[in-house]
Amino acid sequence: MRFDTLAYFLREALAGIRRNGFMSFASASTVFVSLAVLSLLLVVAANVRHLAEYVEAQVAVVAFMDPRTPRAEAAALQARIEQLPGVAGTRFVTREQALSELKQMFGDQADLLEGVEKENPLRDSIEVRLADPRYADQVVKTLNTAEGVADVKYRRDLADRIRRVGEAVRLGSAAVVALLGTATLFLIANTIRLTVYARRREIQIMKLVGATDWFIRWPLLIEGVLLGLAGAAAAAVLTWWGYERLMVEIAHSLPFVPVVPEQPLLTQVSQVLLLGGALLGALGSTISLRRHLRV
Amino acid sequence: MIEFINVSKVYANGVTALRDVSLHIDRGEFVFLVGPSGAGKSTLVRLIYREEVPTRGIVLVDGLNLGRLRQRDVPFLRRQMGVVFQDFKLLPNRTAYENVAFAMFVTGHTRRQIRRRVPEVLELVGLAHKADALPSELSGGEQQRVAVARAVVNHPKILLADEPTGNLDPETAWGIMELLVEINRRGTTVVVATHAQSIVNALRRRVIRLEGGRVIGDEPQGVYERAI
Repeated sequence: MRFDTLAYFLREALAGIRRNGFMSFASASTVFVSLAVLSLLLVVAANVRHLAEYVEAQVAVVAFMDPRTPRAEAAALQARIEQLPGVAGTRFVTREQALSELKQMFGDQADLLEGVEKENPLRDSIEVRLADPRYADQVVKTLNTAEGVADVKYRRDLADRIRRVGEAVRLGSAAVVALLGTATLFLIANTIRLTVYARRREIQIMKLVGATDWFIRWPLLIEGVLLGLAGAAAAAVLTWWGYERLMVEIAHSLPFVPVVPEQPLLTQVSQVLLLGGALLGALGSTISLRRHLRV
Repeated sequence: MIEFINVSKVYANGVTALRDVSLHIDRGEFVFLVGPSGAGKSTLVRLIYREEVPTRGIVLVDGLNLGRLRQRDVPFLRRQMGVVFQDFKLLPNRTAYENVAFAMFVTGHTRRQIRRRVPEVLELVGLAHKADALPSELSGGEQQRVAVARAVVNHPKILLADEPTGNLDPETAWGIMELLVEINRRGTTVVVATHAQSIVNALRRRVIRLEGGRVIGDEPQGVYERAI
């Protein structure tokens, strides 16, 4: 494409946005709202997945020992479990170790544990990591029937529950995004229609002297894409700012909650938003062109 | 150059504008289309630049069957012809020069081609000195000259004019008609739908007479009134 043609398309697209200032603003705003919700959905989904994986990877099965069981016996059991199929690794955690790990988790709020420290309520435990959750039943059964085990916790349940909550959140926000997206499309389509109307003389003359259909369409398509990108950029900025604030807040008050680090998440989400905005804009324009421009 | 074979046109609202029209216009001819309002003159012109397609029959331009022409090829047909209307159809916020240049720009001509060609056609229509005037600063006749300049700037083979003098006083109308004759003299086929009785009578060109959508007369050096 020649430079002066491209410059003309851009100039016309910008003129269209300026001419319909209010509608353009409204369109870009709905793009912004839709994509902000989409962004929330993406960030929440990423974190739910992260949390589920974290819980799963950490410990799959934990056997808490009866406090009366000698440590030598527990060590023997650990060795036996280690040999079972599907077990990736085991770790024997003494109650003292468990307490210090807990303290570490709470970080600078460890003073909450002060009372606990005098009379450690924790028990020795064997943590079993599984290579594959399918072997969980076997491991749980073996531990349950072993001497000296007081209680067996299978954390897969927790990971599953987190996933289910995540799924519900995802479905709900996907529905909202779809709804907002549709509304956005029609608002953009309407804005472009105004431009078609304002430029109808020019378009008529262009057709008359033999301008190609695409020559007539490009400025209108670009106008839609620019509206979409404007809304998307605003949503990306909000996401960036909001997530960084959230990170700081969490690091300060809930340091033991596992969260997805800012990068590359924010870059990826921003890319999705910009692409989504451009797509919404292009689609909105296309709807309008099909309806109101017989070219 | 232009051929109609048993062409009928019925609009979507049921109005029959042309009935079984057959005619042939040669390269380089100058043709008047005359007849009362609603006779089908405008429809005939619209069929030539493919604003409409025939309901029945065939319209050929340069051997091309316009009824079969794909939508995306229409622009390239239109580049072969210029069209002039009663209401000029100029862009009000662009100067005379820009209005003419616009037709070249949107058909993909380079800046250089535009700079060379636009002054040429403005000279041809006698408006070189008003190149920078907006349409609102020009008289009706001058505006129509700009429209003619725009119609011929891309070197069309055919120039179509639908009531080009309908909004002009008789003296100005003569000027426009002389301009069309001059363009024809340079080799362009010219088709003019008109009510300008005295001009038609004075010029003694081919006259195709329409009434009720039918061709009721076609004389090589005709006059406006029907020969009895």
